[in-house]
Amino acid sequence: MKEYSQDLSSLIDNEFDDQEIIDTVLEDVELQQQFSRYQLIGDVFREESDGLDLRVDVTDSVMAAIANEVQQDNVVPLVTPDKQETNVVPFMKRFGQYAIAASVAGVVVVSSLVVNQDNATDASSTPVLNTVPFGGAAAPVSLQATPAQTESDIKERNERLEALVKDHQLQLQTKP
Amino acid sequence: MKHRLFLVALVSLISLIVSPQLMASSESEVAQPEQAKTAQVALPSALTYLNNMKQAYNNLNYTLLYLNTAQNKIEPKQLVHGVIDGKRISYFTYLNGAMRESLQFDGKISFYQQGTKPYSLISHQDQSVFADIANFDFKSGNRSYEYIILGKDRIAGKKAIAIRMISKDKYRYSYIVWLDLGSYLPLRLDIINKSNIILEQTMVVSMNISHTVSPWIKQLSTQSTPDILTLPQTTTSNIAQWNVDWLPTGFKVIKDDQHKLMMHDTDPVSYLMLNDGIVSVSVYISSNKSLLADQQTIIQRGGTLIYTKQVNNAEVNIIGQIPLVTAEKIAASIKPVH
Repeated sequence: MKEYSQDLSSLIDNEFDDQEIIDTVLEDVELQQQFSRYQLIGDVFREESDGLDLRVDVTDSVMAAIANEVQQDNVVPLVTPDKQETNVVPFMKRFGQYAIAASVAGVVVVSSLVVNQDNATDASSTPVLNTVPFGGAAAPVSLQATPAQTESDIKERNERLEALVKDHQLQLQTKP
Repeated sequence: MKHRLFLVALVSLISLIVSPQLMASSESEVAQPEQAKTAQVALPSALTYLNNMKQAYNNLNYTLLYLNTAQNKIEPKQLVHGVIDGKRISYFTYLNGAMRESLQFDGKISFYQQGTKPYSLISHQDQSVFADIANFDFKSGNRSYEYIILGKDRIAGKKAIAIRMISKDKYRYSYIVWLDLGSYLPLRLDIINKSNIILEQTMVVSMNISHTVSPWIKQLSTQSTPDILTLPQTTTSNIAQWNVDWLPTGFKVIKDDQHKLMMHDTDPVSYLMLNDGIVSVSVYISSNKSLLADQQTIIQRGGTLIYTKQVNNAEVNIIGQIPLVTAEKIAASIKPVH
């Protein structure tokens, strides 16, 4: 343990590049803590710490204290929904502002693709192909007739229809 | 003498028997046209009512709470409308579920939604609930619609009059609109097909009219609006032009461009917007031929139709509040421009 102290200070001063030592440091938590303390001391010496920021890591001790604390009965631990959010982020990144623009217009859209089973009551109009919900959206009922149609085809098609309906909503908002 | 007296008695007796009938028949003949005449003078025509509605809807300060019903789904909404220095302002919100609001004022419409960044769009047409029907040019619109007073009713606790706008052809839906007899504001609107089935209904449940503009929307009008978003750039290069040979009476092409679809990384589509003063129909023509599109698809929700068909190696999508027969006929009439 002690033998590494010298190496650590060399490391800090960028005078050391022994890969083996670096690997050891990377694996040893205690050495890493020592490394960060040395860095802190160096910062204070060089007056780069801004006086206030001592960066003493108290996270561990605080966490330990919290763990020992008896939880009150009326406090419900927060469950962070991490899985659900993942779809949203790349989507927004990809389409930027327009995704937002369409999302309000899209309020109507999502429900627009809901099935219509009542068409049969209107005998006067041309027979309408009823649609059935498929994977949360509407899909042509003729799905069973042509087995070549895959789920991803239907998904792609629904996405396109939804994009069209959203565009229609936006065009309505900005019509001349 | 005695004989003569008897005759007189007989005649008078006969006349007594006959005269009430005579009297009655002559009375009714005279009275009926008179009644009809006074009715024409005293009661305004359907057209007058509809024009009064337009005035009221655009110029009064009011708050409406209303329900939108389409396909067994009911959505409660609120509209607050006011006029500030001659400029109309309307605030709209969904009353249930996530907060979704919009504010239209001074040529802009701003959207606010829980969890997303608000934005504005340039918008010159009133987007509020009854706007499409209230701003219709009823006078020239009688080429497409016939206006008939159906009778009196009671909506949202107000005395109302129901007016039916019947389409003169099968290419558009008909409407029944109920107006408040006090203020002429619209209280209910049914969109009906030619079999008289209600496709969509908007019904006011609470109406509040004030002399002055609501202080709250007056304050909203002074706030700065979110950034204006521009729609995707339209292009005209390298795209086949399309012509629609047939349009229902009263419909005009009000937009004709090529643009990319929002949120969909595709080639630009050719776009036409058709409008008859009430209904706006979007026509998309694209070379995009998806695997499933080898037949026509029809999706309908309430009065809105989404129609897809392959025409001349292109995919035609028609979206709008029109009957299927209209969409079919428009799609069939689309030809490339040579």
